[in-house]
Amino acid sequence: MSKSEKSKAAAGNGKGKSKRDATKNGVTEVPSRFYGSPLPGVKPEELSGTLVVIEGTDGSGRSTQISLLTEWLESEGFAVQTMGLRRSYLVGEDIDGLLAENSVTRMTLALMYGTDFFDQLERRILPALRSGLIVLADRYIFTLIARAAVRGIGRDYLHGIYETALRPDLTFWLDVQPEVAFDREFKKSQTISYWESGRDMSLSNDLFQSFIRYQSMIKREFEYLSKRHGFIELDGEGSVSAVNAVLRKRIASHLGIRSTHYKPSHALSHLWR
Amino acid sequence: MHNATIEAPPTAESKPETTPTAKRPYPGALVVVEGIDGSGKSTQLYLLKRWLEIHGYRIHFTEWNSSPLVKSATRRGKQRRLLTPTTFSLLHAADFADRCERQIMPLLHGGYLVLADRYVYTAFARDGARGCSPHWLRNLYSFAPIPDITFYFRAPLDVAVNRIVAGRPKLKYYEAGMDLGISLDRAESFRIFQERILNNYDEMVETDNFVLMDGTVRVNKLQKLMRQIVGERIDLERYAPKRK
Repeated sequence: MSKSEKSKAAAGNGKGKSKRDATKNGVTEVPSRFYGSPLPGVKPEELSGTLVVIEGTDGSGRSTQISLLTEWLESEGFAVQTMGLRRSYLVGEDIDGLLAENSVTRMTLALMYGTDFFDQLERRILPALRSGLIVLADRYIFTLIARAAVRGIGRDYLHGIYETALRPDLTFWLDVQPEVAFDREFKKSQTISYWESGRDMSLSNDLFQSFIRYQSMIKREFEYLSKRHGFIELDGEGSVSAVNAVLRKRIASHLGIRSTHYKPSHALSHLWR
Repeated sequence: MHNATIEAPPTAESKPETTPTAKRPYPGALVVVEGIDGSGKSTQLYLLKRWLEIHGYRIHFTEWNSSPLVKSATRRGKQRRLLTPTTFSLLHAADFADRCERQIMPLLHGGYLVLADRYVYTAFARDGARGCSPHWLRNLYSFAPIPDITFYFRAPLDVAVNRIVAGRPKLKYYEAGMDLGISLDRAESFRIFQERILNNYDEMVETDNFVLMDGTVRVNKLQKLMRQIVGERIDLERYAPKRK
């Protein structure tokens, strides 16, 4: 716990601009809300809401946890907004189209994902945070950075693109072994998707091997990102209820909620394993 | 039309004194034109292209905003006015990346002379005028190969603006920079927006080695100069048709 918070503060002080912003108000220990200079026209002090990010590969249980956390937070009286990949009005469907064709190049795809991210951030997430909502992000810039980095796009380049992004208040990483992710994904859809197995990278003709190698590369990027950005690492192989309990505890302490008691409603009880 | 002085570009037989093309990881060369709307850059690049094309050179012409991949998103964003300075910039960068990775880079590696009507400097000048940080923009486009020559066509603001306004019944929303909220009057907004872009271009003359071209000079005279500079700076015989 203290380890992750220390590295988060270190990441904040590593950037010249963040440091300046943070020291301006005389609170050096709190990192700036942005990695670099804020987006044009955004005043960080207006953002009274909280941004909670859940990262992790497909099959790590992210979506399940977000459904449960949304119900819990709403029952505690907090309004929740969600975001995720390819959900922007501007280019969400276009990316789906590009992925279906398999003809898009890595840089174009990376920048389309960037457009998708900032469209959601500027037009949905920042307004929500200005209104004091809790934003639960089903993946964030870290997945986008990891995916592009394993395809050979420079890490510094990628961090440069996202330096105007909002720094999350809490970033959880649901870490699972690639083999476990494979089992879960296969069980869910009876197949493994082209992109989740990194088939554009020609790693192996065997789909299982390709998936494992690709997800291992992504995992290594996440290990690096976790150190750089101070992720809270959780064992994604634990039971849904156990992972959820840890998430609730950390979020509750951040928001000042006293009770972390929660039992899913009938509608969500099937998720509770 | 009154320009009858089309000399053939230098070939292997008429070997000119040329400075060799700067060291690049590819055998091709890249010539770029930049400048605000109405500066005459497209006309000049067209004439350069015709000159090389008529004589059978290995060239390819490319222009900004032409990739079908991101066209629908750009159209949607512009129609509904959803674009912010950041998403406007990223969408154009995605479009450029597609052209860069699928056209420009393969052609440069394949030994073509690539002619580009607008390049990354358009984004630096225009998106910078919208409020994106220059540092962020430079990083965003750092994957783009550096041109062998960048011609910057500079015309006084009034000359350029009048050329555009006279030829167009209505300026488009983003084209006029209406998203910046500078002025409710489109013509006025366009003028101020173009002025900011012009200033940004001017600042890049030195930092990015622009070849400054006076857009008020007569078309054929300017074209003659452009051809001369291209002949001096680029080893054109590399792109010449093979003679038996």
